[in-house]
Amino acid sequence: MKRKIAIGLAVYSVVFLLAGMYVILTIRNATTSLDRLITLHQVEILREHYLLQIKKVQSDLMLKGTAYSRSFDSVVMHVMSMGRLIDTCFECHHSPRGMERLNGLKQQTDKYKDALSRVLTVRADTARLAREKDTAFRVGEDLIEQVGDMIAFTTSRLEVNTQHAMSEIERTKYILYLLVAAGPLLSALLGYIFISGLTRPVKVLVESARKLKSGDLDHRVAGLKDEFGEVAASFNEMAGSLKEQMQKMQRTEQMVVVGELAAGLAHEIKNPMAGIKVAMSVLSEEAYISPEDKAVLQKVVAEIAQLEGLMRSFLNFAKPQKPRLEPVNVNQMLNTTLTFHLKHQAVGAGGPRKIEIVKEFGELPVTLADPTQLQRVFLNLFLNALHAMPRGGELDVRTCLEEDGKSIRIEVSDTGSGIREDLINKVFQPFFTTKPKGTGLGLAISRQMIEQHDGTITVANRPGGGALFTILLPVKVEGAAA
Amino acid sequence: MRKRSIACVFFVLCLPLFAACSPKEPPPPTKKPPVEKLLIGLIPEQNLFRQMERYEPLGEYLSRKTGTKITFKVLPRYGNIIDSFNSSGMDGAFFGSFTYALAHVKVGVEVLARPVALDNTSTYYGMIFVRKDSGIRTVRDMKGKRFAFVDRATTAGYLLPRDYFFHHGISDYNRYLKEVYFTGTHEDAIEDVLNKKADIGAAKNTVFQRLAGEDPRILKELVVLARSPDVPENALALRKDIDVSVRSRLKESLLTMHLDPEGKQVLERFGALKFIETTNKDYDVVREYAEHVHLDLATYEYVNN
Repeated sequence: MKRKIAIGLAVYSVVFLLAGMYVILTIRNATTSLDRLITLHQVEILREHYLLQIKKVQSDLMLKGTAYSRSFDSVVMHVMSMGRLIDTCFECHHSPRGMERLNGLKQQTDKYKDALSRVLTVRADTARLAREKDTAFRVGEDLIEQVGDMIAFTTSRLEVNTQHAMSEIERTKYILYLLVAAGPLLSALLGYIFISGLTRPVKVLVESARKLKSGDLDHRVAGLKDEFGEVAASFNEMAGSLKEQMQKMQRTEQMVVVGELAAGLAHEIKNPMAGIKVAMSVLSEEAYISPEDKAVLQKVVAEIAQLEGLMRSFLNFAKPQKPRLEPVNVNQMLNTTLTFHLKHQAVGAGGPRKIEIVKEFGELPVTLADPTQLQRVFLNLFLNALHAMPRGGELDVRTCLEEDGKSIRIEVSDTGSGIREDLINKVFQPFFTTKPKGTGLGLAISRQMIEQHDGTITVANRPGGGALFTILLPVKVEGAAA
Repeated sequence: MRKRSIACVFFVLCLPLFAACSPKEPPPPTKKPPVEKLLIGLIPEQNLFRQMERYEPLGEYLSRKTGTKITFKVLPRYGNIIDSFNSSGMDGAFFGSFTYALAHVKVGVEVLARPVALDNTSTYYGMIFVRKDSGIRTVRDMKGKRFAFVDRATTAGYLLPRDYFFHHGISDYNRYLKEVYFTGTHEDAIEDVLNKKADIGAAKNTVFQRLAGEDPRILKELVVLARSPDVPENALALRKDIDVSVRSRLKESLLTMHLDPEGKQVLERFGALKFIETTNKDYDVVREYAEHVHLDLATYEYVNN
């Protein structure tokens, strides 16, 4: 769009520049024609003036020797003025032909001046004086004729040039009218193009936003280019994301409903199941029950116990308890869990294998947390790690305070086979499990508990193999705002 | 009210100052220096109008340099110069040698300077000439012919032919010749002989040579029969009563203009190398020549009608 605006402005400027140059050129041509016309008029006036001056000198000549003769000084002045006028003609530019005619005129003028000088200075008998006067007069008449011819020539040229100049001026006038009319129209047109180029995409975007608002999440912006195209792409991404989130929310709401239903159902099942379990236990203790039946009954009791565990876990997930916060030393809690609970669990679950536990505990502040929930989370992570290392391995537990001092980082990693990349994003989903007898609720409940503490839990595969769970738990101090 | 009181106090305090500033006597009226003008006459040595055109740049230059407005006035006749000093208020003139000698005696003008021509001469001489094909070679051949003089107040165009006829025993050349007339300019005397309007002519050598440069027919078709002694070239002379400072400024400007680039250009257009100082004594040769032809300058009455 920026480029288009720049190009548009450049085109606009160039068009105006060209129009301006054309106007200047046209005006200059017209003024040049006028100048030429004025010059020709001046030339004509000059030549007519010159003709008048010659006639005046001729008149002086004719009056010489009569009672009306002018003074010698006046005659000299008239002749000198005549001479100066012809010299003035040489100050202008002339074509070679014009210069030739002018030189001829100058020569004739000089000849006339010579003859006049003779008439004014010669002292002789009457016949000679008359001859001199006659000679001068004839030269003067020739000069008058010559100048008359030139005036006629100039007049004819003047007419042609006047017509040419007038038509030039007329043309200039029309061009200027046209430009005066076309200029605003062009500006309006270009302005309309620019404004519509800007407003149309905005209009499309506003329209799309309204459709989105009305619930049409499938609507996408199309047909926009440049910067508006980028905005449209972002808008479409946003719409897509919004739709996805809406679907997630809908699923979550469904899950909540299903969870509540399931929790209610589980609660209703739990009591009869406890009765069945007790009944089965009592029955299995009876003497008349054969050992084979006893074994079956004990298996039923064990299955019921497993179902009860599942029910408990499910109820915990569906109806999580609010954490009961109290000052907790995370390192100590980890240590306890590793030392007592894990040992018991490890021996009970995995059989004989060599698990090396590596602890790197940093100095941590005491934080407010629910020790039961935390212990359950830690135990869950440790058990998962043990399960991931059926042939033994190394369980690393590290803690440290984040650089900003606001969170505690707890890392639990193993040296097992890790988690498949396509499943790694699903490990925290409820009922997702890779264990044959897993409920798929351990990690989901763990994340739920950590999130109830305003923390986060993430998982990643270690470069050397094995999984790494990272918990970031905010440091909470007693009395501080939650 | 308060403002008015302050103004009154201020005025009273300033009174001594006004008194000190005001002149005790009215200032003498400022005299505007009179505009200095000089009207200089030009003799018709050549075509009247070319003469004016030749001298005008010199006048403009001298006006600028001296601060005195110099105007030229061309005269139809040589001898008119002397009349013009009395009638037209002329202050000076570029005199020919004979007109100066005459004007010095009659009007009392004093010569200042004269030009040195491009051939480095500051003198000229008169010549009597005829067409080669006219067959006129001696005074005997001139009998019954037409003679073109220049003017009764020229050395070349009058004194020389007068001397020529006088020394050949012809006391009244008017009767000896068929026609005697005065062309008024040296140029026309030469042109008339060349164009067969006259059979014999008299003119100064400088004009003859200048025209010969422009028209090769002159040297080819004309032949010189006699010449006068060398006399000073046309020189500027002023009335005696002209202010000394004006005179000295004018003289200084003329004598130094060849050292000034602008003056040098004017001189080139004028056709001279420079101006040199000229004194009354330089005209002794003219006076002797006049005596030689029995012409008394003191009593000579210039009539050229």
